[in-house]
Amino acid sequence: MSHMPEKNSWQVCQHCGKHVHDLQWAPDFRCPFCGVLQRLTADQRLKITVDAGSWQKIDLKFQTTNFLNFPGYSEKLKRAKTTTDDEEAIKIGIANIGGFPVAMGVMDSHFMMGTLNTTVGSAIKQIMQIAIEQQLPLIFFVASGGARMQEGIFSLLQMNTILNQWPDLETTKHVVINVLTDPTMGGVSASFGFKADYVLAEDHAQIGFAGKRVIGQTTHEKPAENFQTAEDLLTHGLVDQVVARENMRTKLITLLRLHSGDDVHD
Amino acid sequence: MTKTLEEKIKLIRSPNRLTARQVIRQLISDFFEVHGDRLLGDDPALTAGIGLFHKQPVNVLGINRGSNIQQRRELNGGAVRVTGYRKALRVVEAAEKFKRPVISLINMPGADASAFSEEHGQSEAIADLILKMGQLSVPNVALFLGEGHSGGALAFSNVNQILMLENALFSVASPEAVQAILKNRNKTQDASEFMPMTAQQLKKIGLVDQIVVESPSNTLMDRIDKAIVNSLNELEKLNGLQLKTQRFKKFENITQI
Ligand SMILES: [Zn+2]
Repeated sequence: MSHMPEKNSWQVCQHCGKHVHDLQWAPDFRCPFCGVLQRLTADQRLKITVDAGSWQKIDLKFQTTNFLNFPGYSEKLKRAKTTTDDEEAIKIGIANIGGFPVAMGVMDSHFMMGTLNTTVGSAIKQIMQIAIEQQLPLIFFVASGGARMQEGIFSLLQMNTILNQWPDLETTKHVVINVLTDPTMGGVSASFGFKADYVLAEDHAQIGFAGKRVIGQTTHEKPAENFQTAEDLLTHGLVDQVVARENMRTKLITLLRLHSGDDVHD
Repeated sequence: MTKTLEEKIKLIRSPNRLTARQVIRQLISDFFEVHGDRLLGDDPALTAGIGLFHKQPVNVLGINRGSNIQQRRELNGGAVRVTGYRKALRVVEAAEKFKRPVISLINMPGADASAFSEEHGQSEAIADLILKMGQLSVPNVALFLGEGHSGGALAFSNVNQILMLENALFSVASPEAVQAILKNRNKTQDASEFMPMTAQQLKKIGLVDQIVVESPSNTLMDRIDKAIVNSLNELEKLNGLQLKTQRFKKFENITQI
């Protein structure tokens, strides 16, 4: 019996539709047939990014509630919590990457598409504050469909409250890196998304402000196939590099080392 | 008389709605319009420049939707393009340099949905304007003449005081977009019943500082004038650091649910 494959050990690739075994997905979750990436949960992201055992989670300041009594929101939240086993669409904490201590915010598109609400916004501001207080480099893994509609104007105002605090990061003189992953859209893209010292985009990620479908409807023209892809943004000069997931950790270590103030010896 | 959301929408999108250009024409003298973002072009949806308001030099950002079909096409229906945010940024930076207040006049559906704006960094252009407006050491005031939605409108309203005409709206997304979510839940009520977006609701949560009554319409401009004067007079008492702190706290307090 122990040699039988366990349940759920095969997952269908959302892009090409082929069945891929868990062992073939791991650890980077790139489809061996079409090369497209699966979206990662915050835990999966941390696992392939930070030094083993170094992650120190920081608790969010409060729990999300349906304070506007928006129809369906409570159920959506409950479902998201169950499927992700997480409190919200972001995890914040401190970790080492290649031995360099960093403050981190990791967004999770599996939780209501990583949308920005009052709790997620507060977590982003909290980890910014911690990076300032503890004099640490700051890395955001961004994954978000934009502002969370169910919290209305209160979600929208996360954009400016984050940006109003953003210049404080300058005082640390430590590097701030944003990794834009699939998807990075709307109010997250148009707030702190591009404001880091370096903006890396994970390969194949969709990145933009207005959705592709909305643009198609508004302009009555079908956007190009590669429109709003990480690769297309690089061509237009909007991101510093497109980085394959397999190389992301190494790239981050290089950037951290280049900003560590240490002399580099072989 | 309180209007339903539907009535408000009809009013603020009507071709007869008071426009930013009309306000500028009537309240700002010696208006000198500036053009272009120095990078890609000029967004006609944004009228930006400097002029005198009660003999005091001010910098003005006015968004126009157009009053007829041809104008609406030219002005992209008021959906400010990437070039508009960068033109606005120039004007806001000039306000900081010359220590002048900034007045935004808003009636726009939201940000532009086009490949042009996306490919030229609309996201960062919006973020840059939000950021700069927040850091200003001079007073800034936004007046919503009609509606304003999403990050596009927020870029013009990260300000010390927000004024709204009685029937104006400010929301995370258009009422139609909110309605679409509700429809999936078989809810037929107004989107505003579930989400604060009217001037009255937003005043209650402390986002809006003054509401300008719309009728009688023949004296509306006087009331707008008075409301802006009131705001600027209040803000005049604060120094640069206090203005920045007041702005920061205004929004921080609202988001502490
Ligand atoms: Zn595949």
